[in-house]
Amino acid sequence: MPDKKEDIRIGVFLCHCGSNIAGYLDMEELEEFSRKLPHVTFVLRNLYTCSEGGINEIKKAIEEQNLNRVVVASCTPRTHEPLFRSSCGEAGLNPYLFEMVNIRDQCSWVHMKEQEAGTTKAKDLIRMGVAKAALLEPQEPIMSEVQRRALVLGGGIAGMTASLALANRGYEVVLIEKEESLGGMLNNLNKLSPTMTDAGALADEKIKAVTGHVNITVFTKAKVTEVRGFIGKYNVDIETESGVTTIDIGVIVVSTGGRAFVPEGLYGYDGKRVVTQLEMEKLLKDGLDTDIKNVVMIQCVGSRNEERPYCSRICCQTAVKNAMLIREQNPDSKVSILYRDMQMYGVENEEMFRDSKAKGVRYINYDPANPPQVEFDKVRVYHPLFGRDMDLPVDLVVLSTPVVSQEGAEEISQLLRVPIDENGFFLEGHVKLKPLDFATDGIFLCGSARFPANIRETVAQGLGAASRASIPLAKGSIVVEPIISVLADEDACRGCGLCVALCPYGALEVRTTEKGRKVHVIDVACKGCGVCAATCYQHALSINSFTDNQIEAQLEAFLD
Amino acid sequence: MCTGRVDPALVAKAFKKGIDGLMVVGCYFGDCHYITGNHQAKAKMDMTRKLFKFIGLNEDRLAFRQCSSGEASVFVELVSEFDQKILDIGPLGGDGDTVKAPEIFKKLEAAEAVLAGEKIRWIIGKRTPFLETGNMYGEVFTEHEFNRAIDMIIVEEMEVQEILARLKETARSVKDLANDLTIPPARVFRYISALKRKGMVALDTVAGQTPIFQIARQEV
Repeated sequence: MPDKKEDIRIGVFLCHCGSNIAGYLDMEELEEFSRKLPHVTFVLRNLYTCSEGGINEIKKAIEEQNLNRVVVASCTPRTHEPLFRSSCGEAGLNPYLFEMVNIRDQCSWVHMKEQEAGTTKAKDLIRMGVAKAALLEPQEPIMSEVQRRALVLGGGIAGMTASLALANRGYEVVLIEKEESLGGMLNNLNKLSPTMTDAGALADEKIKAVTGHVNITVFTKAKVTEVRGFIGKYNVDIETESGVTTIDIGVIVVSTGGRAFVPEGLYGYDGKRVVTQLEMEKLLKDGLDTDIKNVVMIQCVGSRNEERPYCSRICCQTAVKNAMLIREQNPDSKVSILYRDMQMYGVENEEMFRDSKAKGVRYINYDPANPPQVEFDKVRVYHPLFGRDMDLPVDLVVLSTPVVSQEGAEEISQLLRVPIDENGFFLEGHVKLKPLDFATDGIFLCGSARFPANIRETVAQGLGAASRASIPLAKGSIVVEPIISVLADEDACRGCGLCVALCPYGALEVRTTEKGRKVHVIDVACKGCGVCAATCYQHALSINSFTDNQIEAQLEAFLD
Repeated sequence: MCTGRVDPALVAKAFKKGIDGLMVVGCYFGDCHYITGNHQAKAKMDMTRKLFKFIGLNEDRLAFRQCSSGEASVFVELVSEFDQKILDIGPLGGDGDTVKAPEIFKKLEAAEAVLAGEKIRWIIGKRTPFLETGNMYGEVFTEHEFNRAIDMIIVEEMEVQEILARLKETARSVKDLANDLTIPPARVFRYISALKRKGMVALDTVAGQTPIFQIARQEV
């Protein structure tokens, strides 16, 4: 219900978006239509509402027409809502008295050949937006302080890189490693392509830098057992052999890495004559036995199947790299790589691939329906070009197995309330727009915890995650969108805690107040999903800017 | 905003106001922007569909579907398919539904009250704990057991709400209510006793030997 005390004056701005909207919808008709909607006192069409001119028109109209609600019908709120909101703010109108209607992406763009139907749909959308706008209430952004200390989970190359980057910027870092020593997967590797850097030397250098850094506290043989709080104000229990330590933390970086799949029962794997690519790294590091003359590598062992449908992406380059190193150590050896598809992304990998062929590494394509057979001294494989089975003599078979998710990843995902995907890897906020952030503010991810990555990519991601994590640390405070859950009717709340159990973010808690047990919304942690409001049987909880009566008003407007 | 925000009571309200179909489209499981909200949404919509079926509304008028924001073609397919489905079913309360208009709107009114009510919201909210960690006695329920409980609660809650709706119109006896609603008189009596205890229904008069009940006036 509109507040009767206040005279609701809505301004509607219709954006042509060049010809993106005006080319397909009847803008004049939309203008006429908008004028007749309840509470609308001003309507203006712009060529581009988001241009400087368009923004100035909004500001001018707020002042001159005394508007107290603004509706812009244009493109997507994803990109432009913040701009229009802040423009309203600059003109002295509370930014949350703004409503955006998308008449481009799901309207003019998809109804390019149906002007009439598209215009009718735009009318529905505008009418709904205006109906909601009339009921909007002002909101104030939420401020909260940030503890300038980062927690990094996992002391592999990802975690060490992120820790050093953060520590060098002057922030305190607490680094947790479950093993006895730092380094993780890097400790098991030999040479890193394409530069053939020595992995051991890199590990030593990083470990030295981390352990010697004044800003980094390392806990080894440690694990996190409890995480309370939210961005800026986490409170974390760390369990080590000497007991439990509790530390206040501002941001968290997840760099728990992955592990190589062990192909028990596949291709006669025994760790001696049939080894994994990871074990091959150690053999090469220790110096390959000169008797080894014939090596066959099999790709996609235990990956790209029903159980693990994904491509682990780094095994191909590892196989090619190791094939060349085998040829280097034992120049008269023969190396064949049996593959399904070669995943050699990037210029350097392509080059290495070509180079390997020139240096005599042989490639044979195999069909997963007819996989190679490993026997005692030979590997039988169907050669598609010869059209018959071939027997390759072997002294050593190397299986390229995928990187799989880390042990305990699920436990960590539950502790931090962040998602993992169906393969057990941590799920980033958005694959393109937020690749190193979780959807939850204040928690970041990098390295193979996210998805199989080689050392170079892991370092880049570690730096990236540290950079993202530095933003709240540098600011020392965060501002959160106030479109969150609120206890709208305190008297109705019975403090039953039903909503607390359902909140995906741990943003609700029951507190004892003067009025008894009542739910309390931790505003900084709330993401405004609305599950609680749709669950509360007392209808005590509501979502700012998405209240029941606002949604109902939209529904009614839709049916008008 | 998540599909988890879609309040079943609002869904019933939308149908009451005259829409013919409603589709809720959320993220894929495991890919939810709000972590677990889509699981909540699915459970809520499944339950609402059960309730709709029970009141004689074609449950296919309400759909829960999933697609990612990158799958425009899947979205188009979902919408086109649903649109066709609703065209086939026809207008609300017509041939596609067991109960016809205007009766169906009365039923929807009661359904809205059920869906806004404590019992059904409580059990849906407790679904995950019941199925995964168990109740406070550690009893874990199977999906089948849970659905049976929901079915039972839907019947009871609908009947209670319908009784209240009838009593709001005028005071009635147990027998009249039983006839009107085709519920066995013994069950109506049980509901009325319970409602009386809760102070929601009161005795109006006694006509001959038959007690006539009315809605209790709410004391403020």
